[in-house]
Amino acid sequence: MIKAADSAADLVHGAGDHASEGAVVRVRVLRQDVAGGESYWERFEVPYEPNMNVISVLQKIAAQARSQDGRKVAPVAWDCNCLEEVCGSCTMLINGRTRMACSALVDRLQAEDGDEIELRPMSKFPVVRDLVVDRRRLFRGLEKVKAWVPVEGSYDLGPGPRISPEEQEDAYPLSECMSCGCCLEACPQYTKVEAVRRDGESEADFEKRRKAAFDAGFVGAHAISQAVLFNAHPTGRMIADERMEALTRQGGIQMCGNAQNCVAVCPKRIPLTRSIARAGRAATIWALKRLFDR
Amino acid sequence: MSESSPSFLERHQFLIYRLFSLAGLIPVGAFLAVHLLTNASILAGDDGRTFQSRVDMIHSLGPLLVPIEWAFIFLPMLFHAAVGFVIIANGLPNVGSYAYVGNVRYTLQRATGMIAFAFIVWHIMQLHWLGKPFGGGRFDPHHAASTAATALQPILVSILYCIGILSTVFHFSNGLWTLGITWGLWTSPAAMRRANVVSIVVGLGLAAAGLGALGGFRSLDVPKARAAEVWTEKQKRALAVPGGAVAPAPIPATTH
Repeated sequence: MIKAADSAADLVHGAGDHASEGAVVRVRVLRQDVAGGESYWERFEVPYEPNMNVISVLQKIAAQARSQDGRKVAPVAWDCNCLEEVCGSCTMLINGRTRMACSALVDRLQAEDGDEIELRPMSKFPVVRDLVVDRRRLFRGLEKVKAWVPVEGSYDLGPGPRISPEEQEDAYPLSECMSCGCCLEACPQYTKVEAVRRDGESEADFEKRRKAAFDAGFVGAHAISQAVLFNAHPTGRMIADERMEALTRQGGIQMCGNAQNCVAVCPKRIPLTRSIARAGRAATIWALKRLFDR
Repeated sequence: MSESSPSFLERHQFLIYRLFSLAGLIPVGAFLAVHLLTNASILAGDDGRTFQSRVDMIHSLGPLLVPIEWAFIFLPMLFHAAVGFVIIANGLPNVGSYAYVGNVRYTLQRATGMIAFAFIVWHIMQLHWLGKPFGGGRFDPHHAASTAATALQPILVSILYCIGILSTVFHFSNGLWTLGITWGLWTSPAAMRRANVVSIVVGLGLAAAGLGALGGFRSLDVPKARAAEVWTEKQKRALAVPGGAVAPAPIPATTH
């Protein structure tokens, strides 16, 4: 019994050289105080603990609210929620690559990329503050392709059609999408759209103009994959044509450049390029139908 | 408001991008394959006689050749290039952060597209009669092998051709693979891998044909080729065959 306790203690305290007294984690954060403001680098040092992830580093930075050179600074702002890689809210650029902060382990980062950890906000969305970005365009993409099953009604529609196990197996991976935006961040075809409200412009006018700006850009791999998911669903399929219309509008699937970064960076390993190719096939058939069947 | 009314190009973006994709295969890519394989006939080892007969076959179209060239080669190519430059301008390559094979290919596809465009413009100016006003247009279809070989002789020209051919062939074969994804021909990762092998084989084949032709022209015995062409030309004149449509069976020049 005592032996087991000893080894458990070893596991906690003996994780390599870092555990020695005074070990620190050095972090470089690209900060920005307000939307549209100037960005600047700030360095932080927090005491090292075994099994830290980037979120726990940020929590420590928030607790001490001091930069590496001892100045009192505002804590770094960031988004997070579930801390187990299913909510998709803590996406940021960690050592230059898009990923979830909750599943980015400090020990591995230091082993792979060196001592200092670099944190930047996602580059494809407007920064709200520090590492917090405005991902409205991501959700606009889902709205554009109607990424839902239309069951709204005033009476009970009864049970939906049965879905075979094969179809379920095919669809399940696509349903794992957590709207983290990694696929968009890594996509060379998805470029930043930042609409700024003009002087004297009403909220409604600005909203309309922003939506148009979003829609002119690439809709993104996530939305294409969700369109494929809901077009495969027996009830969702009822508005399949509307989704195909959206996917072939400006900024639609044609904007895909086949770099295939989306599938490479997806934390849920969703077969995004398969979805894109399937949507491409559906778009081919849909366009031919439109051409000859009207 | 101008910003709320999308332009013609924006409203028909899907159609234009799909036509762009198609144009890369048919007719531009198909022409590339025919062109490189025709040129590879210089490797027949008969002082360019086979190559000359292939050229004669193309030129037997006579006055139709010009409209066919414009409709099936130049205009589709210009369309493909114009849309291609728009696509390149709207993309933001990030191979430095994400050095995946697919991303490297994405970047190379754009780089080779631009190299291919510059190369093809220069190539046309150098050899095609369109380049005559600019001091080019050095290819003479009646003396096909010898004029092509002479134009390709300078080592710098050969090096640039080597780069141009390889860029064009990469752009085509990689584009063949992405076209299949775009149109939905291969959708599963396994199908994409198989299609990729096919694209690589096509690319290697065309690269071999293109570079082989370049080597064939460089190692051509120009005076002997010239003599063969002059003799063929005489035969054609004697028979008064227009445009060399039906050339007589070649008689070896040595019997004279």
